[in-house]
Amino acid sequence: MIYSSELIKGTLKTIILKLLKDNKRMYGYEITQKVKELTAGKIQLTEGALYPSLHALEAEGILITETEFIGKRVRKYYSLSPEGKVITKEKLSELADFMNTLKYLLDLKTDII
Amino acid sequence: MYQLNDDDIAFILDDIRRNGVEMEDLQLNLLDHICCIIENNLEANGDFRNFYSETIKSFYKGKLSELEEETISLLNNKYYYTMKKFMFISGILSASLISIGIILKFMHMAGAAVLLVSGTAIFSLLFLPLLFTMKVKEKQQLKDKVLLTAGSIIAVLISLAILFKVMHWPGANMMGTISLITMIVVYIPLYFFSGIKQQESKSNTIITSILMICGCGLFLALARAPYATRYQSIKDTSSYLRNEKIYEVEKKHASQLLTSTEKFNTVSNELLNECDLLKADILEWSSGVRKIEDDFENKNIFIYDGWVKTYFHDSNKAAALLEKIKSDFQNYNSLLPSNKEVHVLPLEAIDFNVSEEKVLWALTDLTQVEMMVLQNLK
Repeated sequence: MIYSSELIKGTLKTIILKLLKDNKRMYGYEITQKVKELTAGKIQLTEGALYPSLHALEAEGILITETEFIGKRVRKYYSLSPEGKVITKEKLSELADFMNTLKYLLDLKTDII
Repeated sequence: MYQLNDDDIAFILDDIRRNGVEMEDLQLNLLDHICCIIENNLEANGDFRNFYSETIKSFYKGKLSELEEETISLLNNKYYYTMKKFMFISGILSASLISIGIILKFMHMAGAAVLLVSGTAIFSLLFLPLLFTMKVKEKQQLKDKVLLTAGSIIAVLISLAILFKVMHWPGANMMGTISLITMIVVYIPLYFFSGIKQQESKSNTIITSILMICGCGLFLALARAPYATRYQSIKDTSSYLRNEKIYEVEKKHASQLLTSTEKFNTVSNELLNECDLLKADILEWSSGVRKIEDDFENKNIFIYDGWVKTYFHDSNKAAALLEKIKSDFQNYNSLLPSNKEVHVLPLEAIDFNVSEEKVLWALTDLTQVEMMVLQNLK
């Protein structure tokens, strides 16, 4: 089963930040492959969602970039800025808390039904 | 594994550009991404063009430029936050500046004007426009956008009008009157009738309308009505005229003494002439004529209820004459006879360039000084 893009949308930033926290620096394609690998293909990041988020995170100063030439083309590596490291921690604990709440909330609802 | 050559790469980049991706950063990211996919998934002898066109389709729902639109919208979101931050900073700054400015003003300490002016300027020219820009994006209907725009303009005008009033700058009354009248006649009815129709906003609309009407009413209650203004002008001008008449009679009685060639008397006469000149100058600036006659009411010639300080700030000639009179005061005081009781001329009576005095008070001060000079002659 592949999760719908609506479900992924709200957590995409946190997923990117966590991957960069664990892997120091990554480029876009690498991020999609890593997510696919770690989730056994259940979560597949689309290019249409990944790149806008990466650009926004860069503009917000959360990510910093380095470019490298691969033959004729340029590859952009993303990594966390010092500020980004702090935000990653916040985002992760926020999401963990949210997941607990959601679990509680939905369990409750199933009980009622 | 397929080996991409330079032509393939140029082809991909060109295709990305042609499909509406204009941001260079995004172009390069997408190029690298597609190249990675091709290199990892296409056989060495595979069909590059075909594989490419299939791959690129999986990037979007409708068209490739969606990616750029999404990026821009996320970036704008970031500006939204910067703007919000800026709005809060300017709001807190203007509130603090105005508060400290008011405290300094009441304690008659230096810096009050600077703080009040900068605080109000930041409030009305930075905070309110930013608040408007943020709020107008949230409004869906055109009607709401129009209401918000009108309300913001009125708010800016009212706060600037108060600033102008406090600083005695010209145009304050006009700005205040126009904005308050627009608010009462146009804005509040529009607001009321658009909100009252919806059940969910009905009670809120009624309460806010009452608050706004009472607020405007109280504000206008502070302003002097046209009738009262005319009444006060007549009173002020009559008072000046009476002073002048008393002074003229006294001067006539002392005419012989004034024309004598004794030094003290010549100095006195010169000083009186200078004071007369200054009075006529101030009068002309305020009422338009150099001498007020008994029929001033019929001719609608009145002493303007303004601050005399403005005149000495605006006219170098006036400021120079005032300085001359001040130094003549000192000269005169040094010549005063010591053997009889005399009036020493008070310099602070004519510090018009710094004092917070209305025109009538300044004219009265000058007449008082002239009467002192006349009494010293006897």
